[in-house]
Amino acid sequence: MAGLRANWFYLIVLAGLLMLPLFAESDAVAAVMPRGLTGSALLHVFVLIFFFAYMSQAWNIIGGFAGQLSIGHAAFFGIGAYVSTICYIHFGLTPWLGMIVAAAVTGLIGAGLGLVSFHYGLKGPFFALVTVAFAEITRLVLLHWEFVGAANGILLPFSPDPTFWEFQFTTKEPYYYIALAMMLGSIALVGWIARSRFGYYLHAIRQDEDAAEAVGVPTKRCKIQAIALSAALAGLGGTFYAQYTQYIVPDDMVVGRVSVEILLGAVIGGAGTVMGPIVGAFILIPVGEATRVIFEGGGTGTSLSALIASDMGFADKFLAYLDYLAAGGGGGLAIILYGFLLMAVVLGMPGGVLPWLAGLRARAARRTRARS
Amino acid sequence: MSLLEARSVTRRFGGLTAVNAVDFRVETGEIVGLIGPNGAGKTTFFNLISGFLRPDEGDVLFDGHSILGHKPSDICKRGMTRTFQIVKPFPEMTVTDNVLVGAFNHHGDTGAALAKARSVIELVGLGPQAGKLGRELTVAGRKRVELAKALATEPKLMLLDEVMAGLTPSEVGAMIEVLGRVRDAGVTMVIVEHVMQVIMNLSDRIYVLHHGEAIAEGPPREIVANPRVMEAYLGESFVAEAGAEPAT
Repeated sequence: MAGLRANWFYLIVLAGLLMLPLFAESDAVAAVMPRGLTGSALLHVFVLIFFFAYMSQAWNIIGGFAGQLSIGHAAFFGIGAYVSTICYIHFGLTPWLGMIVAAAVTGLIGAGLGLVSFHYGLKGPFFALVTVAFAEITRLVLLHWEFVGAANGILLPFSPDPTFWEFQFTTKEPYYYIALAMMLGSIALVGWIARSRFGYYLHAIRQDEDAAEAVGVPTKRCKIQAIALSAALAGLGGTFYAQYTQYIVPDDMVVGRVSVEILLGAVIGGAGTVMGPIVGAFILIPVGEATRVIFEGGGTGTSLSALIASDMGFADKFLAYLDYLAAGGGGGLAIILYGFLLMAVVLGMPGGVLPWLAGLRARAARRTRARS
Repeated sequence: MSLLEARSVTRRFGGLTAVNAVDFRVETGEIVGLIGPNGAGKTTFFNLISGFLRPDEGDVLFDGHSILGHKPSDICKRGMTRTFQIVKPFPEMTVTDNVLVGAFNHHGDTGAALAKARSVIELVGLGPQAGKLGRELTVAGRKRVELAKALATEPKLMLLDEVMAGLTPSEVGAMIEVLGRVRDAGVTMVIVEHVMQVIMNLSDRIYVLHHGEAIAEGPPREIVANPRVMEAYLGESFVAEAGAEPAT
């Protein structure tokens, strides 16, 4: 019964999302959205939500289902973006096919990383450290490799009259629908995995590897397959990002902040569940974007020491500090809010939002049964 | 050809020889008991024959093939499954899903695996608890899930490591009944057990381990009368007294 109601909820949301671009400029949308968040600005926020939901879902396969914490998915994401972009620039390969090449390359790299890590039985924090190191190595290589633009990155050549084949669009709508389709595709794929032998095996591995091995689960092979698939999907996402922003640079993409943003959606929504990463991204991204909208401007040109030395009252000083953070000072307010969100989830609902809701529902059902 | 044969299997941990040159055979259709005082090396021996530990010396043959160096999942695919003394249900899965993971061993399709899992759940009498999570079960429930998971892999040979430990006498009775049904279903078993009632009731043959060595082997009646076994369990002086009595 509860599952049925949830499905109706998701269907209604989906219908709304499909129609949103038609009404993005309407007064009704303007009335409910904060400060000028309509039209293409609004669509941009949704593209980010879909994109991070998709990336988080990719992470969910290895990090959620298989329970192997990767804090390095920004590397697969970055490599994917670079592979398709280089294929496009140097070989004229359309990014639509470049996407597949990117997925193949990142999938292989993921498999290699898994092979080495899991062959030597790395678990828990040790595997996590390997992924961090891998991402950092990837960043440094991209940063110093002239062929891929080194620290300047690559500016994608913009065609003034882009065709669909070039995966470039002058409006936000096509990107919106592509990102939505990627998110839906990732849900379908993971939903299918969750009901298959592979999905059950991954869950078993997460809960007790020895017990899984004893009942015939080839744990090492399953973990390698999971990270390869997860990395391939992340690589695919990289291509989308490159085409969307038209500019790729290592210090913006292959950094810890991105790796954390990727996994945070799943952790907050519910790692190892099909809809968890999606719900998580729908919570996280609006929080991040809202802080940017609400505290926009203001802080630019202010230095932290000047702020501290100024003779404002405490409340004003605090607000000025928030503005300073929102303008990008000290890493940005969004990151701080993410941190608080994560703490709240870890303390209050350790399984994530969705499992927490399911628990509430189960308890309510038990109570009604006990009463009757 | 024996279903399982261990040839002079030895395993050392540093200076301690936990299992020393043990020969062990199981024929198809048998229930073989493995007993011994605490620390005799029973669980280590189980780990050696199920692929969780590699012997330092000796060989283990299952169904005529050496399984040395094979992973436990591989050995499980070939038809030998074990349970753990410290039970390991998947805590966040329902009983049905726990057993389902085992059933996937021979069924790739979720529907077929689910049918298998349900039939095993009925066989071990877990039907009423099928929807509970692994962590919500009582000790008796956990032991049954452990057994059901192993059974669902459709083993030719099942190694049961103390499935009775921690059960009340009535639960032990119920479990003996379940194991009887499992035997009738054609599964060969090796049982490690402290509860003598179980071993004596179920075993066709018994091996006795002491200080890592197999000191006796035979049908239950012979084993209980074996002076070396009494000595291992009760100490030399007891045996000396007991042996002296009939003479006077």
